[in-house]
Amino acid sequence: MSRRALRSLTNAGALALSGLATAIGLFFLGAILWTLVKNGVGGMSAQVFSAMTPPPGSSGGLLNAIYGSVAMTVIGIAIGGPVGMLAGTYLAEYGRHSRLSTVIRFVNDVLLSAPSIIIGLFVYQLLVVRMGHFSAIAGAVALAIIAMPVTVRTTEDMLLLVPQGMKDASTAMGAYPWRTILSVIYPAARSGVVTGLLLAVARISGETAPLLFTALNNQFWSSNLGAPMANLPVVIFQFALSPYPNWQQLAWSGALLITASILVLSIAARIIVSSLGPGGRR
Amino acid sequence: MNDTPDTNAGEVRRSRGAPAVPTKAGVALPLERAVRARAEEGGLNLKPSGRQPTSALEGRGAAAEAVTPLADAVFICRDVNVFYGAKQALKNVSIDIAPRQVLALIGPSGCGKSTFLRCLNRMNDTIPGARVTGSIKLDGQDIHDPALDVVQLRARIGMVFQKPNPFPKSIYDNVAYGPRIHGLARSRAQLDEIVCSSLTRAGLWDEVKDRLRSPGTGLSGGQQQRLCIARTIAVQPEVILMDEPCSALDPVATARIEDLIDELCQSYAIVIVTHSMQQAARVSQRTGYFHLGELIEVGDTDRIFTNPRHRLTEDYITGRFG
Repeated sequence: MSRRALRSLTNAGALALSGLATAIGLFFLGAILWTLVKNGVGGMSAQVFSAMTPPPGSSGGLLNAIYGSVAMTVIGIAIGGPVGMLAGTYLAEYGRHSRLSTVIRFVNDVLLSAPSIIIGLFVYQLLVVRMGHFSAIAGAVALAIIAMPVTVRTTEDMLLLVPQGMKDASTAMGAYPWRTILSVIYPAARSGVVTGLLLAVARISGETAPLLFTALNNQFWSSNLGAPMANLPVVIFQFALSPYPNWQQLAWSGALLITASILVLSIAARIIVSSLGPGGRR
Repeated sequence: MNDTPDTNAGEVRRSRGAPAVPTKAGVALPLERAVRARAEEGGLNLKPSGRQPTSALEGRGAAAEAVTPLADAVFICRDVNVFYGAKQALKNVSIDIAPRQVLALIGPSGCGKSTFLRCLNRMNDTIPGARVTGSIKLDGQDIHDPALDVVQLRARIGMVFQKPNPFPKSIYDNVAYGPRIHGLARSRAQLDEIVCSSLTRAGLWDEVKDRLRSPGTGLSGGQQQRLCIARTIAVQPEVILMDEPCSALDPVATARIEDLIDELCQSYAIVIVTHSMQQAARVSQRTGYFHLGELIEVGDTDRIFTNPRHRLTEDYITGRFG
């Protein structure tokens, strides 16, 4: 066999293998989405968004769970987002070459891949045990701890993408580092940092395990941050495992709802990226 | 839209061909004579650098010529060494930089030209592991003096980079950046005035006056570089450093920048690093030749290109090397 034929054969083999790998991934993604839509759409109604979680056997909705999820996610990102952004800024700018940064980066990676149930247990020890009961604020803190390493990582990566020449230009103009970061680097990396934040939101809005140990659940409407609060992931977990058909149906609807909102968030992130563009172009 | 200015630039270019050299000599020589005359009258009244040449000669043997002190130098650099980690990038560079004059630094790649340029506004500080020794004085003040705020120092020295690097902001905000961070304008009207005059001096006003609010990154490469120059002169620096400002530009844009340099050197000291010997010959009054981290020779541009004293300089400008 000629060398050329061997090469094109190798190429065809590699192409077929990577195509197969992609197909396997896409198949499972498609299967999950299909099952979700097939089972979830039937239960979707105005009542899902307007009624509280019902007792077994009677009709109801997910309003209190939706509210709780939104509230805890917003508070979680409000705590974890800024802390993560500032830490990412330190890693990318002030401490880029320092030894401390290497340590922080390593610790952050560990935290990034830590099982979320461990974080739930940690907050349980830290807040729930001290307060004596489950609470929404404990849930928000757990979500914040999960959002933080994601934000640190994306912020650092996005800031590092800003061309060195642009930073040098600002430094050479006689700008203090904080000024360069606020006026030049952040605007240049804006779309990337915002995308990172949205992805962190998407990540924490589906977390179940940490909420199980912190916010727990609530059958009723509650906007008290100091008390247990309903939330979609835990409701889904509880209802899906129950023997009652109406609960199971609500679990499917809730799962579809979370998936759809994460999809919307991801699309929003993409639209923001393309509308702001790199370097603030419009 | 570019037609008119470009044709003009082309004409200016052509008219500055061969006859430009005598004119330049005419400009440069009286200054040199004046310096020498002043040195003869009262050599002791020179800046502290007055006694340096002897020691520099002894220290370096025949490797390079002695430094010619200038009476009214903006920058006085003596025995500047730069180390990146263990590697020495610059060896005992001593040079004076005159006001209202263009100094061109030429030499093969990696010879330390840019490194030296970055010493002058302490941009080497931003590189980890970089170490600078020796003395660099701006208007008689040591720029490495711990009491001196490096940020304030950089405000007095403008820098234009190889690649045009406008900020991700509007054209207006790009130029207003420096005046804003240094609080140079007391009112909006004053800021408008600074932006307008800087863009005018940079020869960009007519092209952008109708779109000051559109992003600076939307301009062409040559326009971006002129925007960067406008941004630099908006803070009225004393010295402008240019690190191969034309190497990313086409010949027409290059011609416009060179015309601009000619004009700016009426008010500023300009140090330009360039790989183009033609450019050095066209825009500068003095030229320094760097080789492997050493400043081999510095002198009047006409003299360097017609009658170099050093073998290495001659080899380089005649194209036998590099």
